[in-house]
Amino acid sequence: MSSFVLIASLIFATYGVAVIEEWVSTNRLRLAGPLISTLRLLGQENILPRKSDRLFFEVGPVLLLIAALLSLAVIPLAPGLIVTDLATGALFFNAALAYVLVAMIMAGWGPDGAYGMIGGWRFLGQLIAYAMLVVMPITTVAMRAESLSTIDIVNSQEMLWNIAYQPLGFLLFLFAGMAMAFVPPFDLPVASGELAGGVEAEYTGVRLIIFRLGRMVLILSVSSAIVVFYLGGWLGPFGPDWSWSMIKILGVAALMLSGGRMLPRIREATLLAWSWKLGIPLALANIFLVGVLVLVVPL
Amino acid sequence: MSQLQQYAILFGLTVGTLGLVLSLYALARAIGKTRKEPGKDVPATAGQLSRDPVWVRYHARYTTFALLFLAFDMEMAFMYPWAVVYKEEGLVALLDMGVFLAILFLGLLYGWSQSALKRQ
Repeated sequence: MSSFVLIASLIFATYGVAVIEEWVSTNRLRLAGPLISTLRLLGQENILPRKSDRLFFEVGPVLLLIAALLSLAVIPLAPGLIVTDLATGALFFNAALAYVLVAMIMAGWGPDGAYGMIGGWRFLGQLIAYAMLVVMPITTVAMRAESLSTIDIVNSQEMLWNIAYQPLGFLLFLFAGMAMAFVPPFDLPVASGELAGGVEAEYTGVRLIIFRLGRMVLILSVSSAIVVFYLGGWLGPFGPDWSWSMIKILGVAALMLSGGRMLPRIREATLLAWSWKLGIPLALANIFLVGVLVLVVPL
Repeated sequence: MSQLQQYAILFGLTVGTLGLVLSLYALARAIGKTRKEPGKDVPATAGQLSRDPVWVRYHARYTTFALLFLAFDMEMAFMYPWAVVYKEEGLVALLDMGVFLAILFLGLLYGWSQSALKRQ
């Protein structure tokens, strides 16, 4: 029973993220939008570019989807609603999402097209910028919870959510998460205005469905990680647990997708400079601050 | 649930996703064939074959960042087990890792002073 509820709510959340994504990018709320575009893409022809690296071209989108789904597997929606409560959940989340980079490079290299290639290499630069800012804030979350299990992490926030306990870590993780899910203004690999879709450029038909689905699950997984690590997961004043998870997750996804669009797309070199000159010192300071805080005021 | 069962579930998730993808591909194939036309399968370069080859060596302009990234990434491997036992160990853990992080941070500052943190 609970596994059925879990699968249904994950599908619902993914669909919700897709609706929000279309809403913020076209400014029209169409509840049937993702369904219609899926059906349309299903009827579109599947073009395999000539001279393509067939293996990389095929594996790229599938790997993106699998990596995003695996990272979602350690995210609890409610105490019983989790795919696997790994003892090393927070670490597994990182490990699974490391494959996003591999998938993007494969998808960029595969079709032998210039736009995809540039998009893929750009994302490699982007990874060097965001990766440390994802892992370092998670360490401080684990320091407070004394565990890497995501359920323990949520339980540790019963007194005070981590967004209030370590606001600096929240901000760093939010921006790094946005860069990891390549939502605007960090959408360098798929930069629609300048690269004609970048990594997505050569994908059509059913392969594009997989690619977009993978991206939606990735956005969902990043926003639910933000909720679990910083916004108290399923904790809420009244009502059922899962509804609080759902409201928070969709809220964070909407915030990420709509807020980022207000900013101009950031160049990869600028992103690297900001992340290493400001982000990493701040993340190290955050580790030290939370370290003192955990010993002095253990809430 | 034992650890082995948990990893079996994750493996099942992977296989299930592959199944979903393959069945979608089969569905798309079942819908019908498309006409083969010349020039349809050219990568997007304004309707022409790309002038220059794409699979060539690129100048990665973030090499120095990448080297620093390696150092920091190794450090993170030590940070996770440390973070779990941090509260138990208390001040000793803070000092131990503080020294380690301070050395790394000095390395970052040194790299910065040698203009490692800019586009090469």
